[in-house]
Amino acid sequence: MDKFKEIIRQYPFLGFVIAFIILMLVPSVFFTDLYQSHLASLICINIIVAAGLNIVKGFCGQVTVGHVGIYAVGSYTAGCMFLYLGSGLWLTLPAAILIAGLFGVAFAIPSFRLEGPYLALATLGGGEAIRLFIENGDFFMSTYGISNIPQPEIFGVPFDTPDKYYYIAMPIMLMAIYFSFSVLRSSVGRAFMAVREDPISAAASGINVKKHKMLAFVLSAMFAGGAGAVYAHLPPGYIHPNNYTVIEMVTFLAMVVFGGLGHIWGGIIGAIIITIVYDLTRPLYEYQLFIFGLTIVLTILFMPKGIGGFIDKYFIDRRFKTKTGAASK
Amino acid sequence: MLLKTKKLMKAFGGLKAINKVDFELPANEIRGIIGPNGSGKSTFFNLVSGVYEPDPGSYIEFDGNDITNEPPHKVGELGLARTFQLLRLYQDMSVINNVMSGYHTLVPYSFIDAVTGRKKIWDQEKTIKEEMMELLSFVGLADYAELNASELSGGQRRLLVLARAIAGKPKLLMLDEPAAGLSPVNVDNLMKILMRLKEKYGLTLIIIEHILKVVMDTCSKVTVLDHGEKIAEGTPTQIKDDNAVIEAYLGKKMDDEEMRKALAV
Ligand SMILES: Nc1ncnc2c1ncn2[C@@H]1O[C@H](COP(=O)(O)OP(=O)(O)OP(=O)(O)O)[C@@H](O)[C@H]1O
Ligand SMILES: [Mg+2]
Repeated sequence: MDKFKEIIRQYPFLGFVIAFIILMLVPSVFFTDLYQSHLASLICINIIVAAGLNIVKGFCGQVTVGHVGIYAVGSYTAGCMFLYLGSGLWLTLPAAILIAGLFGVAFAIPSFRLEGPYLALATLGGGEAIRLFIENGDFFMSTYGISNIPQPEIFGVPFDTPDKYYYIAMPIMLMAIYFSFSVLRSSVGRAFMAVREDPISAAASGINVKKHKMLAFVLSAMFAGGAGAVYAHLPPGYIHPNNYTVIEMVTFLAMVVFGGLGHIWGGIIGAIIITIVYDLTRPLYEYQLFIFGLTIVLTILFMPKGIGGFIDKYFIDRRFKTKTGAASK
Repeated sequence: MLLKTKKLMKAFGGLKAINKVDFELPANEIRGIIGPNGSGKSTFFNLVSGVYEPDPGSYIEFDGNDITNEPPHKVGELGLARTFQLLRLYQDMSVINNVMSGYHTLVPYSFIDAVTGRKKIWDQEKTIKEEMMELLSFVGLADYAELNASELSGGQRRLLVLARAIAGKPKLLMLDEPAAGLSPVNVDNLMKILMRLKEKYGLTLIIIEHILKVVMDTCSKVTVLDHGEKIAEGTPTQIKDDNAVIEAYLGKKMDDEEMRKALAV
């Protein structure tokens, strides 16, 4: 087992190939109806958003409550490109990532001067402004929403039903995770954490604080934008401004907080659990904001490191004991 | 000269925290800075390292570069490292990550390499980690590498900030009260480690310290600040007998017995 771990550590790409194969097999083994496939795709999309949020909030420590706006930018880039240019996912996805990245730049600028609750307010304003802009713009089909956004084809095979679309959303999710792993496990990820923990010491170590805040915002925005595009093409291919409200934002935040801020695996597990709970509580629509708001508050109060905290605790304690020999005695 | 300031000035409102300080430090020296509380020692560090912007008319040169108005990360890149009086550890990061982030400017791979997760990076990361583990064993923290920095004791934290500052292989290391709050045994231990590190990495050092014994034992030259002004400079023996210093810093002239006590702290 340790040997296996060592190989994965050396060739992280291999880990993703294995994950891909396993996830390819999941539907045929576990799924019994189309709705489960739909939910699985949603989980993939939310994992991408959560991975992105984890970069900016969990690792770099920058509060943002406007991410749902950037997610909307991704969705509407895809929607509008379909509407006006007839483009499909393979074009809209890169475009959405790029344009969302530009919005990331705009969201990063307030973080140079503001922090904590003030930064939260600024980004909240930004996110809401985007939604209101879409809702009131005829160009974006305002409150009608954009429908019939098509699913992609691969070699002429359409992926137009929920069970097939999973095979589109899942690999994109894996790619996103791979990128986030690569960045966060590198010196860039360490620099993000240093900026989060103490920007003044970080700068003293030669870390350019503004540059890394900018990087974190742009990267996480690209994740959100990409996820937004995958969501727009999700069968039945319908987007509406109501899908990008504060409730969705709180849900995204609940994923990373409950999963464990700054913990890659925790964030993924958080996204899976919260997406399922969100779906189960859909009939209680008017209470969802309360439910997930409460989840965030309770997590922060009673297990501030979320699920990731438990994972770490188990591994770190063991490593420490082995090293000092305490375990063998 | 490795570090040079000319007419360095910083006022907070009406208070002149640093007032026209000229300072020169050649490479390889160990310099002590002493002075009463509030005399401007930490402010001097903050100005030199770019944390504070100096008032107009000031000039700071490091290793041949004008760094008067450079931001702190630029100064850090040039090879000037420092510790902080209040430590400023990365509390919620592992001990090894604390030290590895001090290596930031020397990391050999690019951002693009990092994003794409090329294998080369993991090899280089491994080498960096090994090197940093060696540094950690040097200061005696190797067993704690995977713990959170917040789980360390006060003395261990002081060793960790030291290791973090050295990780980037600086040309000049500035320490703000490295021994504050340590027990006498730990002070000795810290100073031993410091001297070994100086040898090993060829460091030039500036040490702010209240514990006179540390200054007298380790520094070849001492600069004395009072009310933001440089009031004396010289070898420890010269400083000990300087009237202005005795008045400002020690309060009154001490007889031999009292002096011996003060130095034994
Ligand atoms: N950011 C700041 N804003 C306002 N005043 C400041 C600031 N930083 C320092 N000062 C003032 O400048 C003076 C010098 O402070 P400094 O911290 O440099 O003293 P010090 O010599 O390091 O003292 P100590 O030995 O207590 O650490 C003090 O009067 C302090 O109140
Ligand atoms: Mg001070």
